Amino acid sequence: MILRLNTDIAAGFVGLAFAALLWLARGDMGRLSIIFPRAILLILTVIAVALIIKGLVRPGDRQVEITGSPRRLFVVAAGFFVWWVAIGQLGFVVSSVVALLLLVWYLARVEGPVSPWRLLRWVPIVLLLVGVFYLTFTQLLNVRLPSGLLI
Amino acid sequence: MEMLLEALASLMTFQSFITVLVGVSAGLLIGSLPGLTATMALAVLLPFTFSMPPLQGLMALGAVYMGSIYGGAFTAILINTPGTPSSIATTFDGYPMARQGRAFEALAGATIASVIGGLVGVTFLLLLAPPLARWAVAFGPAEMFWVAMLGLTLVASLSSGSLLKGLLGGCIGMLLSTVGVSPVGGETRFTFGFPPLQGGIELIVALIGLFVIPELLTMAAEGRGALRPSGEFGKREASIGQVAKRIFRRPGNLVRSCLIGQVIAIIPGAGGNVTSLVAYNEARRFSKDPQSFGKGNIDGVVASESSNNVMVAGSMIPLLTLGIPGAPPDAIILGVLMLHGLRPGIDLFTETGVLTNGFILSMGLAALMLLPVGLLGARLIYRVVIKTPYYFMVPCIAMVTIIGTFALRNSLLDVGIMLILGTLGYFLRLIGIHAAPIVLGLILGGIAEQGYVQTMLAAVVDPIPWLRLVRNPLSQVLAGMVLLGAATALLPVWLERSGRLQKVTSAEEEKP
Repeated sequence: MILRLNTDIAAGFVGLAFAALLWLARGDMGRLSIIFPRAILLILTVIAVALIIKGLVRPGDRQVEITGSPRRLFVVAAGFFVWWVAIGQLGFVVSSVVALLLLVWYLARVEGPVSPWRLLRWVPIVLLLVGVFYLTFTQLLNVRLPSGLLI
Repeated sequence: MEMLLEALASLMTFQSFITVLVGVSAGLLIGSLPGLTATMALAVLLPFTFSMPPLQGLMALGAVYMGSIYGGAFTAILINTPGTPSSIATTFDGYPMARQGRAFEALAGATIASVIGGLVGVTFLLLLAPPLARWAVAFGPAEMFWVAMLGLTLVASLSSGSLLKGLLGGCIGMLLSTVGVSPVGGETRFTFGFPPLQGGIELIVALIGLFVIPELLTMAAEGRGALRPSGEFGKREASIGQVAKRIFRRPGNLVRSCLIGQVIAIIPGAGGNVTSLVAYNEARRFSKDPQSFGKGNIDGVVASESSNNVMVAGSMIPLLTLGIPGAPPDAIILGVLMLHGLRPGIDLFTETGVLTNGFILSMGLAALMLLPVGLLGARLIYRVVIKTPYYFMVPCIAMVTIIGTFALRNSLLDVGIMLILGTLGYFLRLIGIHAAPIVLGLILGGIAEQGYVQTMLAAVVDPIPWLRLVRNPLSQVLAGMVLLGAATALLPVWLERSGRLQKVTSAEEEKP
């Protein structure tokens, strides 16, 4: 998908928005704590303004291209965030088994429809993968993974 | 000399070889997993060394350290994901090489460079430890500020397209490094009233997010794996001998990168991440074909991997002589030394010289072991990457990154930050703001801030406080290097923009 966008101006506004976000959140900070971030915020603002001016006077790229399927991109990105929330709620093992199966099924559909039989064959692989990582981290590396409501 | 020979003899046992072999293999495996760092590998191994004799315990730790730093190159080359922060610069040329079907060439180059880097580091450690350690103490806050600035001149190299966007990315990274508790003032900054953010944004969390997540999203959107399924391992095109010949025929890059690695390694706090980035930048600057960097030039891989492996032994210099850990994993080795009643200092080289020299030599052995273990491991990991269908690869890498990020600080918030940064990183990349300058800013922001604020604090009674930044001869040299570095980085950009470079190129082409 190709979108018409002046990337210089877009980058400039991203810089300004980020600078504004931090500037408004600076609060009542002491000199030693603000001296460095303030200098960088100033430099960031100057660069962002320069980019906007450059975008108006001599623009660089005027389009951006999302290669592949944007729908798949957004679904997978959203899927990652849902997975993250689910880990805290349901626990690492359950949420990861479900997330892995759903993502594998969704992504495999690029090559054509996925039969229930094929999906069923992936279940032991997914269980093994999650199980190996779970046991390695909890038993060998002594990392306590989130357990949530289940496991 | 007697102690050195005695140490060598104690190393020539079957037990020692097995310890080093297992250590290198384990380190390689852990280092190749995103999120699992060399520090974590050493921390995990630590309890196992309690029951070992001192030399064997130290040998195991040294081997794991060496293996894990090298292991980071595998995923950097094969799936564009630095396994450890030290291998960020390896992705720049390693992954394009793998995409071009030259994976073996990149992995062989990384292996040879790592072996040489490791051996050079050990040689420096054996011969030059005391004088170099005295030099390391000369680095005060002002000098550290200039070291950070020197690193920031790299932004010009990493900008890929627009210098302004590169600088913008660098500033964003530096500001991200200020989130959390201020290193000098001690106040909480930019947490938006959210206490868990007081811990700041962990470098590795940002690194994983900015490098891995955009790559996963691209793979998902395009419906492809990290490498082409039909992609050749590239062994037919270049054998290990040919790769070695290519590297050694023009040894300038290797020598320069090793020297850079050694110099930066002895500065406490700089670490391997800075080392490899600076070495990469210099390799590009000195190259006759700088345009090919970032598109699959093996010199980029060699520069990054040789310098970060020099750092492994190099950072032991301040550790063994002054008790100052040069990099985070060294702190764990310091703990083991203390545990066995060994105090850093000159006594370590005299009274317990056999043990110390044995430990140093074992790191040399570990560096040599990288060659067989690395080449075998490269083949195995490559097969896994190429044979796994993309629809399994994407969720599996996501799981490893989620679990690796969580394990860093047992924090689900870190996983969220990683995902947010990664998703934003994808869209920032679309508008020309790449991950590398942001990560560079994040690495160097903390060092620069601490150096700058501490210097200003010391100069509070000076009439012109900032002049303190250039008062010492060492800081003057470093400031000069920064100016020189910035000039040489900006000059080609200016020449290209003004059209002068094209005139020179076309004039050269017209010559018979």
